[in-house]
Amino acid sequence: MSLITIQNLKVHYPIRSGFWNRVTDEVPAVDGISFAIEAGETYGLVGESGSGKTTTGKSVVGLEKVTSGSILYQGQDITQKANRRRLNYNRDVQMIFQDSLSSLNPRKRIEDIIAEPLRNFEHLSKEDEKLRVLQLLDIVGLDADALYKYPHQFSGGQRQRIGVARAVATNPKLIVADEPVSALDLSVQAQVLNFMKKIQREFGISYLFISHDLGVVRHMCQNIAIMNRGRLVEIGTRDDIYNHPLHIYTKRLLAAIPETNVAQRAAHRASRLAVERIYQEQRAKYYDDDGKAYPLVAVSPTHSVALPAALAHQLAQEEVQREAQA
Amino acid sequence: MAENFNQHSDVSAADLARLSQEAKSEATPSTARIIWDEFKADKPAMVALVIIVGFILFVMIASLFINTPQMMQTDIMNYFDKPGTDGLLLGADSGGRSVAQQLIVGSRNSIGIALGLTAISSTFGICWGLIPGYYSGYIDWGMQRVYDFMMMLPMTMMIIVLVTIIPHYNAITLTLIFSIFYWEGTSRLIRSRTLAESQKDYVAASKTSGTSNLKIIFREIMPNISSLIIVDTTLSFAENIGVETGLSYLGFGLPPQTPSLGTMIANANDPNNITQYWWTWLPAALEIIILCLSISYIGQVIRRAADASQRQGAAD
Ligand SMILES: Nc1ncnc2c1ncn2[C@@H]1O[C@H](COP(=O)(O)OP(=O)(O)OP(=O)(O)O)[C@@H](O)[C@H]1O
Ligand SMILES: [Mg+2]
Repeated sequence: MSLITIQNLKVHYPIRSGFWNRVTDEVPAVDGISFAIEAGETYGLVGESGSGKTTTGKSVVGLEKVTSGSILYQGQDITQKANRRRLNYNRDVQMIFQDSLSSLNPRKRIEDIIAEPLRNFEHLSKEDEKLRVLQLLDIVGLDADALYKYPHQFSGGQRQRIGVARAVATNPKLIVADEPVSALDLSVQAQVLNFMKKIQREFGISYLFISHDLGVVRHMCQNIAIMNRGRLVEIGTRDDIYNHPLHIYTKRLLAAIPETNVAQRAAHRASRLAVERIYQEQRAKYYDDDGKAYPLVAVSPTHSVALPAALAHQLAQEEVQREAQA
Repeated sequence: MAENFNQHSDVSAADLARLSQEAKSEATPSTARIIWDEFKADKPAMVALVIIVGFILFVMIASLFINTPQMMQTDIMNYFDKPGTDGLLLGADSGGRSVAQQLIVGSRNSIGIALGLTAISSTFGICWGLIPGYYSGYIDWGMQRVYDFMMMLPMTMMIIVLVTIIPHYNAITLTLIFSIFYWEGTSRLIRSRTLAESQKDYVAASKTSGTSNLKIIFREIMPNISSLIIVDTTLSFAENIGVETGLSYLGFGLPPQTPSLGTMIANANDPNNITQYWWTWLPAALEIIILCLSISYIGQVIRRAADASQRQGAAD
């Protein structure tokens, strides 16, 4: 059984306006998505800005009021507050926030920040608690003298480590990592990703790894879902997504990964322009009449794409032939 | 689970004392220390602090040695004594009563009422701002309607009516009556900041850490708007000295036999007093000006201390 199963999740934000401040419209930030995360894996959720990734992540940790759909954990629907409380849900599912500065209370010392989930869920003695905090700092590679400092005294990378330490504190089963490295420079990104992997190996944690950058996700995730305007357009293994993308949106995201090899820069640029041209010409084919993504259809046991069934199978067929020729 | 952590970290119980010792030496200074440094860096504010603290202490202690009913007895022999005559430091008023003694007891009464009023109305206003700002939705809607209703009432008139219909009132009832009407400004101010603060991710992080709503409101959000609270409270204190004085001046504050800064300034209603017998009202007026200025100076310093980017005090 999967660790967590998301079924047809919808989160619509009301737009209020007019004299009576009535709800006049809705933003479908998340519009019917389904996927499952297995124990111990890193599941990638990728999409451009505003596609609803953070909203999905917040729903999974129980911070968002969902409009409909369910999220199953140990057979219970944790979109209900009562179920979350009964399961002590947040002891098992934690979050690393996108903006590390705003996610740390500027008025609290690092010790109190990291100890907060421990105080609520584990009730350790004062000594044990301090020891655990020191161990956590050590695990994320910070010195003990961080203990009595305040968040603004740290760099962005160090703050993200503090966020990770807090999320790991209760030894959870799943951590939702919302773009944990997108605000960091490349060398620091690599450091943070590496110790996140290390923590995963040592503690057997699953990640829901949210990112807008397929380049980063490649090194982290076994399974990936591509999100576009509140819907999933493609789900697959790393191989499915990187080597056999079917949806034009996925191809565009892939083409947007910067090419570091100077020799291939011209070829890369040409292929990016080609994808862009197909996108402009064939957009109608890939989206329905309202400009929304189609429901997902499976083209292989691991790989699904949001296209009309006939088109999906045709594209999958072409992909297989192309592979055979190569 | 503890084994899990022990296994993956080199830190063990044996290091605990040493590491926390090291961390202590690197610790950022405490808030009290920061505020004190800030006062030391700002001389006028230091003077203001000394004036306020010294004055309040002096007034509170000195008034214990004054027998108020006896002081308020008319003594025709001292009718409008000039300052310095008959052993009266600041002279006497039309009833021959010592101005200096009235000033001390009056200040005690006025400051006491202002302190009480500030404590009650700010506490209430802060709660009435934090709670709707955090919860929003129905709770916010309900609490805002109460606020709107209170804003609609004509405040000064209501106070005058209440004071007139309550038969025996003293400083405490007066403070309570004022408190009913003076929390609204604070509440609206705090609510708007709380709305913004509640959207920040550290609140979300506290929720996923299992912290209860009340704790989030008062232990997480409130410290983050403390500079706003402090500035608002000091300014209200200065304002509240004015509230009591103003109403007593109009004759609707403390009963006439109870001296206050307001009743003393009311001496200036008589044109003769303004020109000839200036010592009956001028000291009280000067005192109010000095108090209010000092308080706002102190408020500024505390706000700077609360806001790291504005500090002038020595860096650590
Ligand atoms: N509280 C809110 N009220 C109304 N609309 C919202 C709210 N939060 C998010 N939205 C809208 O929902 C959509 C999805 O937002 P979300 O934050 O999930 O995007 P995202 O994929 O995380 O983007 P980014 O990569 O920029 O973080 C956006 O269009 C946003 O404007
Ligand atoms: Mg986001």
